[in-house]
Formats: sequence, C-alpha cells, structure tokens
Amino acid sequence: MNSVISSVKLHLNKREATLLVPLYITGMVALVSILISLLFWRSGSIPGSTEWVSSSQLNPGMLYGLVGFLGYLGVQSVSTTFPFALTLGATRRAFAAGTVVWAIITSAYLAAVFSVLTLIELATNHWFVGFYIFDVNVLGAGNLGRLIPIVFLGTLAVLTLGGVFGAAWVRFGSFGPLALAVGIVIVVIVALIVVIPVMASILAAFQLWWLAVAAAVIVTLSAVGIWLFLRPAVVR
Amino acid sequence: MTTAISVQSATRTFGRTTALDRMSFSVASGSILGLLGRNGAGKTTIMSIIAGQDRPTAGRVEVLGGEPFENASVLSQISYVRDNQRYPDDYKLHHVLRIAPDFAPNWDADLAAELAEGFRIPSKTKIKKLSRGQLSSIAIVVGIASRASITLLDEPYLGLDITARALFHEVLIRDYAEHPRTVVLSTHLVEESERLFDQVVIVDRGSVVLDVESDEIQNVAYTVSGTADAVDRVTQGRPVLSTHAVGGLKSATLRGLVDEQVRADARAGGAQLSPVSLQELVAAFGEYEPDATSGVALDGGEPRTPVDSQNGARS
Amino acid sequence: MFTNDSPLFQQIADRIADDIAAGTYPEETAVPSATDFAVFLHMNPATVSKGVNLLVDRGLLYKKRGIGMFVASGARDMLRRARLDEFTQRFVEPLLAEAHVLDIDIDTLHEMISQKVKDHA
Repeated sequence: MNSVISSVKLHLNKREATLLVPLYITGMVALVSILISLLFWRSGSIPGSTEWVSSSQLNPGMLYGLVGFLGYLGVQSVSTTFPFALTLGATRRAFAAGTVVWAIITSAYLAAVFSVLTLIELATNHWFVGFYIFDVNVLGAGNLGRLIPIVFLGTLAVLTLGGVFGAAWVRFGSFGPLALAVGIVIVVIVALIVVIPVMASILAAFQLWWLAVAAAVIVTLSAVGIWLFLRPAVVR
Repeated sequence: MTTAISVQSATRTFGRTTALDRMSFSVASGSILGLLGRNGAGKTTIMSIIAGQDRPTAGRVEVLGGEPFENASVLSQISYVRDNQRYPDDYKLHHVLRIAPDFAPNWDADLAAELAEGFRIPSKTKIKKLSRGQLSSIAIVVGIASRASITLLDEPYLGLDITARALFHEVLIRDYAEHPRTVVLSTHLVEESERLFDQVVIVDRGSVVLDVESDEIQNVAYTVSGTADAVDRVTQGRPVLSTHAVGGLKSATLRGLVDEQVRADARAGGAQLSPVSLQELVAAFGEYEPDATSGVALDGGEPRTPVDSQNGARS
Repeated sequence: MFTNDSPLFQQIADRIADDIAAGTYPEETAVPSATDFAVFLHMNPATVSKGVNLLVDRGLLYKKRGIGMFVASGARDMLRRARLDEFTQRFVEPLLAEAHVLDIDIDTLHEMISQKVKDHA
C-alpha cells in the first residue's frame, strides 16, 4: 500500500504537467470555441437565437482537444515514468496500481474544474456575450449530472487507454503499441460482425449510461493490460 | 558475519544468448565488492538482477534473505545506480531530489544537496539536455544520499572527469565509513578503484573466474618476462592465463604462487618475476581462452590454454 | 605509492610506521583517523583499520576512547630497534651480493665506505 502511494506521488511529482497543463489545454480549446463563435457571429448568426444556441452546443472541439492531450499524458505516464520508477525501487504491481489511482485523481480534478467553469458560464449567461464554451452537447449541455460522469469517466478511459499503450511500448518497443492497436481494431470489428444483424434494435434501445459502462470496461481492461505488460518487462 | 547478497548458480538467457552461465558468489554485509570483467561478461546483467530489475532464468539470487524481484520490502533497501537512466520528460534535478525520499527510507536531503553542489549539477536545466557526466552525477547523488543498505553502482563513472571521479571516491568512502552499507561497484577503471574493495569478483562469459578477498590478490598470479625461451621454461607444465610476445621478448601471467621451483626455473633462463596488479589480472582473465583439447587446468575448471596475443593462435 | 607485492593493510601500516619513525607523528599525539586516511588515500576504511590494528598490536599506537589513535611513548625507539635488526638483511646483504658480482674485495669495500664517510663529514 505504501508502495502504491509512492508510485502515485511519483506520477504527481511533475506538478506543472498534472495540474496546470490540462488548464492550458482547456484554455486553448476554449479559445478555439470563442473563435468559432465569432465566425458564426460574423456569418450573420445572432447570439442568443435558437439557431445560434444549437449550433454552438453542437461544437465538439472541446472534446477533441482534450482527448489528444490526455492520450499523450496517459502514454507518457507509463512510458517515461516506469523506467525511473523501477530504478527507484517500485514494484511493477504497485506502479500499475499507482498509475490507475493517479488517473482517477486527475480525472476527478478535471471533472471538478469543468464543473466550476460550467457553473460560471451558466451564471454569467455564457460569459456575458452568449458564447457557448462548456455548455455543449458533448459535455452534457450544461447539466452537471451528465458533465461530471462524462468528464470523469471519459478522462479516466483516455488516460488508462494511453497508459496501456505506453505499457505495450515499454514491453515490446515500437512494435507494441502498433500490435495493440491492430488487436483492438480486430476485436472491435469482430464484435461488430457479431452484432450487426441486430444493430438497428440496439441503437433504438441505446441509453447514455451504456457509454458509462463502456468507459468502465475500457478502464478495467486497460488497468489489467498495464499490469500484464509491465510485469515481465525489463528496462535495458 | 551475515551474507547480504547471495548469487546461487544464476543463469540468464535472452533468446539464444546466454548472458549469465551458472554464476555464483556472495557478498558479506557491510563490505565493498569490486565486480570486474570485460564488456559483455555479465556484470550489468547480474547487477540488474540483484537490483530486482530482472529475474534469472535459472538459479537463485537473494538479497537480504529474499528474492528482490517485485519484493517491495527488499527493494526499498536497495539503491541502484545504472548507466543510461531515463527520467520522465521535462524533469529537472529538483524533481529527482524531491521524489527520491519516497523510495529511500534513509534519504539524507542535506547530503544530497551537498553532493549536487559538489558535482556542479545544473539545477535549472532539463535533465534531457545534460551531458553524460552530469547524468552520471545525478545517479551517483541519488545512489549515495539514499544511504541504502545495499548500494549497487554499475559503471557510475561514465562521462565523469578525473576531478569528479576523485570526488565520487571521497564521498563514497566518507559516507560509507560513517554509515556502513554493502556496496557492489562494477568498473573498468580498476587502478583508480582497487583500493576501495574488500572483495573482488572477476567474471568472464557469464561466470565467475575469480573470487577473492583483496588481501589475497597478490597471491593469485605472477608474471614472468624475458626471452621467449626463458619464459617458456617457466610456463612449461604450469597454468598460464595469458601471454604476450613481441619479437623475441615474451611475458606470461601464471596462476598461482611463486615458489622455490618457479624461482629456480626463472633464474636458470634469466627471466624476471614480478607481481601482478589487479588491472593486469582482470586483463589476463579477459584474454584467457578455454580449450578442452590441451593445456593445464586452473583450479576448479576444465583444462584450458591461454591465447598468445601476438597472433591469436594457441600457444 | 602502493605496490602489488604485499597486502594493502600491511603497506598502510608500514607507511604510518615510517612516519612515526621520522617524527611526523610525535609520541603522545594523535594520528589522523582511519576515516581520514581512507578518504585521503581512496582506500577502504576496513583496510586502514586492519593496518592500524597491526600497529596497535605491536604497541606503536594505542586507542583513547572517544578521541582517537595516539602514538605510544617509546614508539620511535621500538621502530629504530626493529629497523636496526632489519638493517643487515635489507642493506648489508645486498651490498655484499653486488660487490661479489663486481669482484670488489673486502678491503676495497672498506675503503669505499671510509671515503664516503669523509666526503659527507
């Protein structure tokens, strides 16, 4: 347990990367959202009109920007931190567990930050100028009951997925992530082949919480994957 | 006297390569072991296993009574200074010094700061931009300031200039004297470090070829030099580790002690006898080629013959 | 500096003994600690201690608890006597052996020695 805590602290040792950089990225994506809003405005859309609101809320930019960075954060949390952790004397078990715990902490942090910013956006009537940055569909359209699980589970899934790719790289070198990606694609396609006859009825019955389940499955499989890859790994 | 490290017939293969071949030795608690040998002899591989970074394919390695691999309590007492240490992206010196105490229960922050200053490690530069010597210095600082019961140093000098190496020796000895620990040091700079060792293990091709206390080193081998005939008269029927010949001059390093018979044979041909330094000993064992068809047995081994360095042929 | 023909602890003991005989460490004063010697010479502290203990056993050094190692009274005389005993073996025998090789007879040898003594006086 002690060992797990040390590994978590190791991940958190880069204070700037963990605490500030997600904020920078959020800021940058927000900037892009603002620019898109300006574009709408210039093209004639009136802030506050129905058309304005719905097209603003459809903006998925926030998602893509953050996913990219979080993926990178997840990969390097294992690929560059593991060799150092091993030298310091961490066990692979504790490091794998510590990585997952760190991912949970980071996800909670981001969910909290987004919640606060969304509340501010709603309270200021979309930043006093009607710009929709956090009140977008991909983030639950202003509903914290959706925003929090989306950001928390989404971040956690991306971080752990990045982590397992990082672990594949540590174990097998550059071949690892490639093989893993191919493997995942194959599994997904096979699943689709199985499911495709009944696809229509599945989509009809689709519930949002299924995504939550999917995220939980990704997180669990990734966490196990991280441990399985790291266990026999030797850093040369 | 307790045994801190026990290597019991350790074998490690990587695919078809055999890095360790039934290597066995032990290290007494609180002593300094010099682990010497050629490149590729297996020094890094065995140190990596002792440090818990790797596991033997066969055999057993015990540190402080337990196997180190994935063993948190043993690992917390081991400090490993290795070559090519990679650090997380954008790390600076203070990142390393801040997190090290969480993995080293005996960490001394003042000592670490003092060492970092002594080695002149830049604190504002990112580690990935530092020179090789500076990287080595960081690893040494962590290795020594950890004050771990088992301190493993795998060629820690790489990139260090003479002044830094001297500082490293002084710092190591002083802290070791005040806070005893078991130290294993592998190095090619034998002359510079030989006075540090309590025990010396020379490895070659994955196994141990010599394991002695440092007081015994001068009893391990001797050199005879002179004309080729004079030298051959002495080497006849005796275990030879290596020979060098240039023109009509020859020298041979022989295993064993100089006794009256050896002296007599040397006098008869006008050959000179001289002691062998540790450096020369490591070189001699490194040149030694085993051969099952002829030659004289070294103690505990199959019959072997030395390699004549003039033309690489069996002599 | 240090050679390869005898154990290091013996050589360090001899070194310290030479310094005592030469008066570098006066009687009843402290010699540097084993740690200081070790750091200064880049030598294993255990080796230094072994050498120091040799001198303690010979009665040339003694330990003052909590303070350090001190040169014993009479150490210089002890060393002088020991070296006198060795003098014949270390210097006279090689002299005679070399003289024999060069065919120098005993009277010529006497003369050479007397001449040198006069030159130095």
